[in-house]
Amino acid sequence: MSSDQMKDVLETIDLKMVYHVGKVDVAALRGVNVQIREGEYVAIMGPSGCGKSTFLHIVGGMLQPTSGRVRIDGEDITEMSDAERTDVRRRKIGFVFQRFNLFPTLSADGNLKLAERIHSKNGEGDAARRREVLRLLRLEDKMHHKPLELSGGEQQRVAIARAIVTRPAILLADEPTGNLDTENSQVVLDMLRNLNREFGQTIVMITHNPEAAKLTDRIIEMRDGHVVEARIQAEGIKR
Amino acid sequence: MPRQVSSLHHETPTTAEPNMDSLIVANIRQRPLRTAISIIGVALGVILVVLFVGLARGMMRDSTDRQANVDAEVRFFPGGELSFSANPLRLSARYADAIMKGVQPTAEDPDVKPKPPVAGVAVATPVGEWIQSGVGAIGFELVDGIDYSSFIEATQLHIVEGRGLDDGRSDRDNEAIVDGYYAEHNTGDDGQPVKVGSRIKALGHEFTVVGIYAPSLLARIKIPLYTMQQLFGGAENCSFLMIKCDRPELAEQVKATIQQYYPGNHVLLTSEIPSLYGQSFRAVDIFLDVVIGLALVISTLVILLGMYTTIIERTREIGILKSLGASKSFIVMAIEKEAALISALGIGFGFLVAIAGKFLIEHNTRLKIDLQPRWLLIAALIGFLGGVIGALYPAMRAANLDPVEAISYE
Repeated sequence: MSSDQMKDVLETIDLKMVYHVGKVDVAALRGVNVQIREGEYVAIMGPSGCGKSTFLHIVGGMLQPTSGRVRIDGEDITEMSDAERTDVRRRKIGFVFQRFNLFPTLSADGNLKLAERIHSKNGEGDAARRREVLRLLRLEDKMHHKPLELSGGEQQRVAIARAIVTRPAILLADEPTGNLDTENSQVVLDMLRNLNREFGQTIVMITHNPEAAKLTDRIIEMRDGHVVEARIQAEGIKR
Repeated sequence: MPRQVSSLHHETPTTAEPNMDSLIVANIRQRPLRTAISIIGVALGVILVVLFVGLARGMMRDSTDRQANVDAEVRFFPGGELSFSANPLRLSARYADAIMKGVQPTAEDPDVKPKPPVAGVAVATPVGEWIQSGVGAIGFELVDGIDYSSFIEATQLHIVEGRGLDDGRSDRDNEAIVDGYYAEHNTGDDGQPVKVGSRIKALGHEFTVVGIYAPSLLARIKIPLYTMQQLFGGAENCSFLMIKCDRPELAEQVKATIQQYYPGNHVLLTSEIPSLYGQSFRAVDIFLDVVIGLALVISTLVILLGMYTTIIERTREIGILKSLGASKSFIVMAIEKEAALISALGIGFGFLVAIAGKFLIEHNTRLKIDLQPRWLLIAALIGFLGGVIGALYPAMRAANLDPVEAISYE
């Protein structure tokens, strides 16, 4: 399938978000139009406060925009109730955060099982898949370790494993290497790239790191709540 | 063409281990002090219900049982307010003679209206009853003053060791008889278990135990009525009469005749006493209702405060659950399950303490505690309900947290 034939898995139309801070209205997004195709690996860059995180939270269904549309895998989540958006998030979105956000009391495998439990609703899980995902992220010998027994890089890999174990349509990563040293950052970035290239995982990643952005298919530059530039990388979609 | 992540395996999904339950257990273990305080709070409610209700029921059952061993079918009380727990000596003991032999005018009282003996009465025996504080000032206990010779005709009392009482008019020391339970659970002045010859203290005086009797009926300590009368003013009074009929079926007739001859007094069938006894404990029932309500409030508040604090501390974790797509009901259930587990532990701990408390109280006092399954179940329900209700508000609050704010919580 060529990139032209691939369907849009994420689309935003004139997306606006205004925060009310006391009596002041602060516009975080001022009409963002973005299309991301299935299997794409996209980096969103821009200075602090340009609206990247707000954008990510809105497309992840965690925040309701002031106006505009968001379609996730064909479903318009801006028309949905809070419960319906939660359901879309459960079925179609995987999150990876800068601060890992693992449950400290659960092992790596336990964190994955919890995600499966929430995803499946009926308590069904798949031990083989969990093992395979952890193997893919080179964590098979850390399955029973708790987060505090893991390095930062390992914790972030567990977070990625947790995000993809439920086969989300989109993986949303908010500065996934922001808390990691160079070596661990590179490992995590390599794994994200592999997930995208080997398994076609759609990834939208916020990053300040140009080296991280270089590994993606496309870079979207944001400034002051606008998309100012969207460029396809020379090394772009090579699949 | 990239491989699909879903093609990483082809195995059939298996049932997951109960992972939310692991999270709940892990959360409970992570905060041992708070968990312990919550468990103790729930246990406190359970202990309150089990011990207070058990104590009230135990004492009532004990009293009722001791009433049941009285053969005398009719009970004669002085007029005024009727009380079963303790009656001052305000009924003339001469009523016993009057009922048995009738009343005739005498030189001292020539105007008295003559009355024949009450037909069908086999024996009428006067009983004095006095209340004293229990062992170690815990609770209270009764002491009976009896006319021994007529008392044994009206009841099943028999001496199993030693001898019975005299009329209390001899020059000998004050004498008492006690039942087997008293002898087993008390010590005399010498610190040794009570036996015949032991000296015990009753009504503020020293008594020598001259006999152990069975079965238990009315008060556990019995002294001569005359001695009791002397200790409390000297009047020839008693608290009530016990009247044994020639045949049990004559009881109603005897009751009616006594009411006719001696109006203004209370005449009851002994068979009516347990239910009247229960009625006189209505205040106790109200007290027990208050205890139950208090237990529920304690359990609810302890869990509410504990879970509320936990939720604030765990705001970020709730944010993570929300980012994973956990529904409100999932979050509410997770918190409710945690509260239910804490409640269950509190109930178990409460039962253990209550059982230990029953043993200690019964061993060191003459109080009796009944641990009836029905009340254990009610106590467990109260602990459980308190936990579940108490966790509801924190759970709802957690479920309604803004996911972005929650995940960013420091």
